[in-house]
Amino acid sequence: MKFLNHLTFGQYIPAESPVHTLDPRAKILSVLVLLTGIFLVRHPLAFIPWGLLLAGLTALSRLPFSMVLRSAKPVLILVIFTSLIHIFFTDGRPLIDLRIVVVTREGVTMAVYMGLRLLFLVLFASFLTLTTKPMELSDGLERLFSPLVPLGFPAHELAMMMTIALRFIPTLLDETDRILKAQLARGASFDRGGIWKRLKAFLPVLIPLFVIVFARAEDLATAMESRNYRGGEGRTRMNPLRWTGADTAALGGILLFVALLFLADRRFLS
Amino acid sequence: MGVRKVALAGVIAGAYIAVTLLFAPLSYGMVQIRISEALTLLPFLFPEAIPGLFAGCLLANFAGGFGLPDVIFGSAATLAAAVLTARMPTVFLAALPPVLINMVVVGGYLSVLLEVPLLLSMLYVGAGESVACFLLGIPLVLMLQRRMKKGGKFPAR
Repeated sequence: MKFLNHLTFGQYIPAESPVHTLDPRAKILSVLVLLTGIFLVRHPLAFIPWGLLLAGLTALSRLPFSMVLRSAKPVLILVIFTSLIHIFFTDGRPLIDLRIVVVTREGVTMAVYMGLRLLFLVLFASFLTLTTKPMELSDGLERLFSPLVPLGFPAHELAMMMTIALRFIPTLLDETDRILKAQLARGASFDRGGIWKRLKAFLPVLIPLFVIVFARAEDLATAMESRNYRGGEGRTRMNPLRWTGADTAALGGILLFVALLFLADRRFLS
Repeated sequence: MGVRKVALAGVIAGAYIAVTLLFAPLSYGMVQIRISEALTLLPFLFPEAIPGLFAGCLLANFAGGFGLPDVIFGSAATLAAAVLTARMPTVFLAALPPVLINMVVVGGYLSVLLEVPLLLSMLYVGAGESVACFLLGIPLVLMLQRRMKKGGKFPAR
């Protein structure tokens, strides 16, 4: 059993870059536009400018390229799996005929296209968490959700929950780690045996974790009450979000790029 | 929403993320079982877990996975399932909403995203979700319930 001592939530990498200083709302909206743009790509060749944009953004964010690529690691197996499905199960002109399995030209094109699309989706989405502090992200989401407040959407409460969650992740990771070690010391095994045995081993970890969750929540609620916390109304911030010209320019630039690529894809490639 | 509810929901969200981060999905052949999905049964015991799971899922999906489709549809599916789970009369029925809703919603968007047959992706999601909810979630809820009965509520509560 591996203990993930250096695990941090999200993958935020601090750096002094124009991307890091953008308003989180601008970044959330830009990623939204970028991911929509990737969905609209029809031809594998159209991914070349997307690759260039990725390289450009990485340089602009002053992030190590390997760090950006690493964010695709969790979905790599799924990418390979779907690519294989497309290689073997797409009809078309045969490229390799092994009697039982036929690899077609269309299948290979489709596999490359799907693989690239998935990779770019994950890589571009990772920019948001790589360049935005989790707290800024939750502030940004609160502001973006705020138009829904008159409809009864608890935007402030949701953001407060996220802030609390972010604050408690390291604490709870430590506590879970402690429980795991305590169980291992008692002879528990989490990676051996059949599925039922392995799942059952997690129960003595989850139960004490929830006892801790309730204790922490109780302490926290008392601390918040004694500091006179009464919800979102009239609350001021230490670092208020400010939308600047740079944010408008960044969002506008991304919109323009996606629109131009979309037109080029439809006009010259599809 | 009261301070106590917000605090409990926030810490539950933190626990969901911590469990998601700490336990990589158990792979069992083709089926992937996420331990954290067992927590989707918590709304059956505590209604505060509904917003907690939604916030936790939202943040966990921001940090990893497929990006936006996961953030929007995955979290919405978790919220819908949590609301239904809280209203189920028995713990065995409480495990059904997360399995069925995730199977349809997550299976649905994975099928569109990966362009694989809908049935295949629904089966892929449904199998993992069923194991997590039925084999881990139900015993978890039953044990927590027993503990609550024994000590009134949790000792710290």
